[in-house]
Order: sequence, then C-alpha cells, then structure tokens
Amino acid sequence: MVKVNEKVEEELQAIFSGDVPWITIVWDDPVNLMTYVTYVLMELFGFSKEKATELMMKIHTEGKAVVSTGSREEMERDVARIHEFGLWATLQRGDQQ
Amino acid sequence: MSDLQKGFYPHGDNAFVANFSESEREVLTNLSEQIIELLAERIDHQSDDPLAALVGITSHDTPPEDEVLLRLLPNAYADQVDASEFRRYTESTLRQKKQGHAMAMRSNLISAIDGVVEIDRDGANDWLGAINDVRLALGVRLNVEENSPEELQLLAPDDPMHGVYTVYGWLGWLQESLLEAVMNGSQ
Repeated sequence: MVKVNEKVEEELQAIFSGDVPWITIVWDDPVNLMTYVTYVLMELFGFSKEKATELMMKIHTEGKAVVSTGSREEMERDVARIHEFGLWATLQRGDQQ
Repeated sequence: MSDLQKGFYPHGDNAFVANFSESEREVLTNLSEQIIELLAERIDHQSDDPLAALVGITSHDTPPEDEVLLRLLPNAYADQVDASEFRRYTESTLRQKKQGHAMAMRSNLISAIDGVVEIDRDGANDWLGAINDVRLALGVRLNVEENSPEELQLLAPDDPMHGVYTVYGWLGWLQESLLEAVMNGSQ
C-alpha cells in the first residue's frame, strides 16, 4: 500500500486541479534606479512603500525576488505589466524555484 | 536653485513640471525618437497574416538578436519554448506600450513652451517608463553591467562614450527627480 503524506496529497490534488501556484520573479538590473524599482512595485502591485522597498532591497542584494503568486495567467499578466516599465521579470511554477 | 537644477517638481495636486533648456529638449526628443524607431524596426517583420496582426499575434517567436531590443523586450520564461509562445502573443502589445510612452514624452517636449513641460500622473508614468527605456538602451551600449560607474567616470573627455555616459547620468538624475515628485506628492 502506497502511503502518502499530506504534502504529496496536496501535490497530487494540484496536478489534477491545475492549481499549482505560479510565481513572478523580478531580476536585478544594474541600470534601473533603486527608487524606480520601488516605485514600479508600488504602482503595479499596490504595495506600501515599506513592502516595496523591502522587495527592492532583496532584488538588489540577492539578485531576484518573488513579487507575486497566483495562477499562470495572472503571472503572465504581471510579467507583461512589469516588462512595460522596463524591469526584467520571468514566471515559473512555484514548486520549481 | 534654478529650475534646471531641480528637474521635475510637483505643481498643484496632480501635476509635475520641469523646465528644459533647448539642448536638453533636443537630446530628449531625439532619444525618444530613437526608441520609437528601434521598436518599429522590429515591427517591420510583422506577421503577413492580417488577422493574426489584428489580434496582436506576430511572427516573432524568437528573442531579438539586437542586445538593446532584447533588453527592452526580454524573455518571460527561462524555458525557450514557453518564452517563444509568450512572445508570439504579447510582444507586439509590449512594443506598442513602450512606443506609447516614448511618443507621449516626445509630444510633451515638442509642444513645450519656453521649455516648460507640465504632465499629470499618467504622463509621469509615460515619462518614467520612457526615460527608463532610454537608460536601458544606453546602459547596454555603455556596458554598465561590466563597467562600474567609477570606471565609466574615468573615460577620457574626448571618448564618445564619455558623452553618452554624461547623458545616461543626467537621465538618471531627471528620473529620480520625477520619482521624488510623484512619490512625495501621492502620500
């Protein structure tokens, strides 16, 4: 008898329901001003200045940060909006980080 | 402090003003046109299928070879197949939005009287996006990734890249002034 724990069960559930969360990652770019990255995150995602600054610092120091989570379609929309403002973002399945 | 040193500043509830010299206006107008043209070069190879073109699907499913265009129109997926598919359906919209930002900036500059540009909040987003695209383009040419600002500052005054770096620095300063005006004005 195969034994599955809760995590595996969730995973199996996700495979069939198609709701594995996707993530949007913003990558560091040496050209973009720190203030600009903060502003774009506030403007596009409605983050507070504190939250946006925290994410910007993470992008700056660690090279990238996850800025949103959701369905693949939602993440594709987020990436397109981020690209419009010249930050580099990619999306991927959240479990493949 | 003169307006020239101020860059953009808030004006009333929802307006931002900057006062440009004739040469600044010329440089900025010219750069916005360069961006519009660069993006248009990519459009020239659009799909021959009018229906596909109408709904924004283009024949582009490979990333641009030009380094500057690639920076402006980056891949959305690490996976090449997914990246191509996404590009096919979204790249033309992205190009149009970027051209829209640059066109708005250009039009504000051309209609400025005595070098005074006044924009609202939406206009500020056009300008911020357009200035950033120009900075990305200049940054690629200047190799900002490899050359730290210190190295770029050491460029000989007669090196053409020295002039490019001066413009790049000025654009950063201008963008920062607009960001400050917008962020302080909205809180």
